[in-house]
Parts: sequence; C-alpha cells; structure tokens
Amino acid sequence: MDFFLLGVSHRTAPIDLRERLDFSSRDVGAAVEAVSARPLMAESVVLSTCNRSEIYGASDDPTRAREELVAFLSDYHHLPAGAFLPHLFALENSAAVTHLFRVAAGLDSLVVGEPQILGQVKDAFQAAAERRCAGPILSKVFRWSFAVGKRVRTETALGEGAVSVSFAAVALARKIFGRLQGRHVLVVGAGEISSLTAQHLRSHGVGEIVITSRTLAHAEALAAEVGGRAVPWDGMIAALGASDIVITATGSQRPIITRAQLETVKGRRRSDTLFIIDIAVPRDVDPAVGDIEQVFLYNIDDLQSIVQENLSRRAGEIERAESIVSEEVTKFASWQRSRGAVPTVIALRQRFDAIRRAELLRLEGKLGALPPEARARVDEVTRLIVEKLLVEPTEQLKALPDEETQAAYTEAINRLFRLREEEDESSTREPRGQ
Amino acid sequence: MNTLPLLLYAAAGVAYAIHFARRDPSIGRTATTLLLFGALVHTFVIGMQTMEVRHVPFTNPSRAVSTFVWLLALSYLYLELTTDERSMGVFILPVVIGLQVIPAIYPGMEYADPVLDSAWFWVHVSSLLFAYASFALAGVLGVTYMLQFKEIKKKHLGYFYTRLPSLQILDVMNSRAVAVGWLFLTIGVIVGAVWTAQARAAAPDDPNLQAMSLNDPKIFMAMLTWVVYSFAVFARRTMGWTGRRAAWLSTVGFAFAMLNFLPIKYFVNTSHTFY
Repeated sequence: MDFFLLGVSHRTAPIDLRERLDFSSRDVGAAVEAVSARPLMAESVVLSTCNRSEIYGASDDPTRAREELVAFLSDYHHLPAGAFLPHLFALENSAAVTHLFRVAAGLDSLVVGEPQILGQVKDAFQAAAERRCAGPILSKVFRWSFAVGKRVRTETALGEGAVSVSFAAVALARKIFGRLQGRHVLVVGAGEISSLTAQHLRSHGVGEIVITSRTLAHAEALAAEVGGRAVPWDGMIAALGASDIVITATGSQRPIITRAQLETVKGRRRSDTLFIIDIAVPRDVDPAVGDIEQVFLYNIDDLQSIVQENLSRRAGEIERAESIVSEEVTKFASWQRSRGAVPTVIALRQRFDAIRRAELLRLEGKLGALPPEARARVDEVTRLIVEKLLVEPTEQLKALPDEETQAAYTEAINRLFRLREEEDESSTREPRGQ
Repeated sequence: MNTLPLLLYAAAGVAYAIHFARRDPSIGRTATTLLLFGALVHTFVIGMQTMEVRHVPFTNPSRAVSTFVWLLALSYLYLELTTDERSMGVFILPVVIGLQVIPAIYPGMEYADPVLDSAWFWVHVSSLLFAYASFALAGVLGVTYMLQFKEIKKKHLGYFYTRLPSLQILDVMNSRAVAVGWLFLTIGVIVGAVWTAQARAAAPDDPNLQAMSLNDPKIFMAMLTWVVYSFAVFARRTMGWTGRRAAWLSTVGFAFAMLNFLPIKYFVNTSHTFY
C-alpha cells in the first residue's frame, strides 16, 4: 500500500485555476466521499484552502489511482483534464510525507509560518475520518503531521510576529492593552488599511468602533462594513476623548491631531493609555503627540519596519523548521520500516514455534511419562528458548536503516528459514486437504 | 537548614532564566515545579523552627529574612498560578535567591525577649513581612513594566517585548500588589504603635521600648515607606497615576522597604534591635 498525493498549489497554479479546482466552497465532506468511492482509492483526505487543493490517498496501485483522480477532478469540477494537467503535481511515499509535513508546518504557505494552515489540515483529516475515508495509513501520517506542525510552532519562531501592517497594529494594541474587550476605537478617514485594521480589532472583540471622515458617506460605508458608528467630522475631537485606540488615514496635508488638541481632551481623560496608529502620508498626527506620557504613537513607517523585521526573523527560522521536518520524515520512515518488518517477524515466529511444537509432539512418547508439572516446565523452557532466540533478530529487523537493506534482509530470512515456500506450500496444500 | 530551599530556588532560578530566553514551555513547567518544591521544603524548615521556638521565627534577622523569602516565594507562586504568566519568574527569583543566601550562611539563633511575648507583636511582624513580600512583587512588576514601556514607546520592539505580558496586565498586577502591601503595612504599623503603648506601660524600664519614636531610623524609614505607598495608592485613584508613573513609584517604594529591611536591620542599632 502506497501513500501518495495529487494536487495544485499556489506554487504550481495561478489563482483562477485554483479557484476552479477548489473544494472548500462546496462541501469538503461530500468531495472526500466522492474521492473514496473511486476504484483503487483505499483511503483519502481532501485538503482544500485558498492556496491549495490536494488529494491525499493510499492505494495498492498509485499510478492507476492517480489516473482515476485526474478523471475525477475533471468530472467533479467540469473541467477538461488538459486545462489543469500541466499545473498538477504528484508525489509518492516519502516525498508525499515530506510535502504534508511541510504544509502542516506552514513552510509551504504563501506567507511562510501563517498559523491557519495547521487547523485546516486538521479539519481536512477530521472530515475524512468522520466519513471513514481515512484508514490506518492516512491516520498515522496525518496525526504525525499535526505533531510536526506543533513542534515547528513551539520550537521555532516561524509563525511569530505580524507580517502585515494591520496585524502589526493589532499585535501592538494587544501588547499595550492586553485583552481588547471593551476598548473604544476611533477611525479617522476611511481607507483600505484602516478598514482592515478595524476589522482585525473587531475580531479581537473591541467595544465600540467610531468612524469619522470629511465625507460622512465614506464614514457610513466603513461603519457598515466593520459594524461601527459613523459620526460627523466635527465630532472627531470629542470622540478622541473617549477612545483607547485611534487609527488615522486621511488625505490631509496638515496634521489633524496636534499635541495641544490632545492635551485638552486628555485633561478629561487624565492619564489613560492611548494608542495612535497614523497610517496617513503625509502624517495626520503631530509627532510631538508621541511625547505625551502614556501615549503610544506609531506611523506607517514604524509599522512597516516592524513587519520587515518580523519577515526577516521568519526567514531566519525557515532553516530550523526545515531541519525539524526532515528529522520527522526520517523518524516516520523508520517507523514505517519497523512496521514493514512485522510480517517477516510474525512468519519467523510462527516457523520457530511450529518446529518447537513438532519436536514436542515427536517426543510425546518419552515426555508422557513425566508428572504434569514437569511436562508444563518442559513446555515453558522450550517456549522461552524460542523467545530468546528471536529477540535480537526482531529488534535488528525493525531498526534497519533503509528500504533496500530491509528488502534484502527479508529476502535472506525468507530463504534461510524457507518462510515464503512454507506459505506457498500451505496455500497449495490446503485445497488438497479439503 | 536553609540551604536546601536555597539550592532548589537557585535551580528554579536557572530554569526560569532558560525558559525566559528560549520560551520553552516544558522548561517553564520544570521551573515552577522546582520553585514549588523549594517553597514546600522551606515551609517544612519554617515549620520545624516554629515548633522549636513555639512561634514563627522572626526575632532573629536571618530567620526573619528566611520567613520573608518564604512569603515572597508563596506570593509569587500564587501570582503565577492565577495568571498563568511565567515570565516574571526570572525577575523575582534573583530577589528570592539573593535574600535566601543570608539565612543559609548565618542560620542565627532565635532569641525571645519576654517583652516580645505578645500576640500584638506577632501580628505586627507578620503583617510587615507580608507587606514587604507584596512590595517586592510590585517592585519587580514595576521594573518589567518600565522595560516593556520603554521598548514600545521608543519603537524598538525587542527582547522584552516578545517575552513579557501586556502593559495592562503588568499594571493591574502591580496595582493589586501595591494595594495588598499597603493594607498590611498599615495594619503592621498601627498594631506596632498600639503594642508599643501597651508594652511601655507594662515594662517601664525597657530601653528599647522607651526609645521607640519617629527619631528611630527604622521607624522613620517605615513611615517614609508608608508615605510613598500611600501616595502611590492615592495617586492611582485620584490623579490618574497609572502605568509608568505607578511602576516607577512601586520601584522606589520597594527600594525604601528593602533599605529598611536589610541594611538598617544589620548595620544600624535601633530600638528594634532585640538581640
């Protein structure tokens, strides 16, 4: 049984093709069931995110199973195979394991180290497991991949630090205020980054979001988008007094918030902490505002330099994450080999035990005269001898370094102890016995 | 007897430092476990000494320091277990280890002046020791607040930014520690004054009791400490002195408290010298 995968990702296919091969917009559960229903697919998991659509499978004949899957993709998405074949990638066994581990670790993501992917891999497996589409092979390799993802997250800083301006602003807000529940936000000037930042803040549970703009209609549009309240432009200073977090993004040529203005409203606010994110160019907030006690003022350059630093720190962690992945792939392979040795070990054990029983049976005449305790002791001793003889070979077989060596050893053992022939003989003998 | 807790505290200190640098949760749990063991063994040591002299050991300075360290370790453990925040350990443990060296080197003999044989006295001393332990926590929280504040304000998000809890949490914890400490300091000072008045009447010939007044360096420093913390509590409530100012005040207050607790105890002869 081989483990393999087939799919497209942001590395191999453009966005429009990925959209057409996407499973996540429809029911992934139904998709994985449809895949499993195909011939030759013993096990399957469908992983579909905005950056990838991948089908993981286990099959006795992976080459033909892959052909089946191409036909399936074509049917399911109503797309001629020629449209996606050049963008499709296929991997098998250890290469497929490496790929899955890298995906779970966030190493294959568009933004390296992004945190969502591990959850998406887990969900994909869950959907397959619930429908009994994932069997022992996929269960083992997927569960292993969760552990790899977790290890990379805890042992490296791959996912650390915000890598976009809006996330960097939210991360700072959380470092200043802790939980953001109940914090008041003021957005001055509607724009893309201010909208994104307000949305991130909303998802962290901030209290009221007040939006103001020189054009009230813009403020109202953004308010509807992020679930805030629009106020007219002249209400800005009053709203400032009630806010903990302020985002400014107007096209104004001159500062709209000065130190003097803020100090007047701060008279009412006493020394409450205020975090101002000024993403406008030219700046909306007088830099002197940042000198006020308990006021933290960040402009777009400050935030962008944080993002740059985080990106370069993440890049520095990639190597460590990759080495964790390859270490785990090696561990997984040796686990698999130890599993591969199991049939040989069992056959060997059965062979030895059969000899033992045969010998005991042959000596039955002599042994029959012994008292029952002594008879039991003889049985015990012979069994122990067989066990002891098998301990070392069993361990050595499970610890073989690679698949070729394992095949060679298996072959040698089969011949030395005539294991294969015995199987064959027994299988041919049986019908005759009937 | 105080060496074993010291060794366990030192091991915990090393583990907290490694945890802080590498941010490895399993090392963090090891650190907590070691500290927990240290505090348990320390509890046993103090329990033994209490049985031996029939009161909590703190008339001898070394033993008082040991009791203080024990209270500090317990308070910190309480803080850690209730907030699930381990990064403060690396700042607290140096105080714990540094002070525990004193009783480990000079075990000291507990000497019980009959004048001290009063319930008021024990309330006085234990309140003050607990107040100092709270101030030690608040002081360390204040230092970490200022480190973190500086990095965010100057926009150099560096070593501490990625390791310390948010400013808000540090401020809230600091505020609680100061409030609890101030409460016990106040109780300790009032009980001390009441007890002095009673004891004076009972023992008119005791030179120590007669010399107890604000002119005594230890009493003077204690009052100064009380003034600093009263201001900290008052300024937070009415003047909006939260955040960095509160952090700074609690650090200064702790410096006063420690000055009173250690050098004055050891090097200055005051009316509180009962040995």
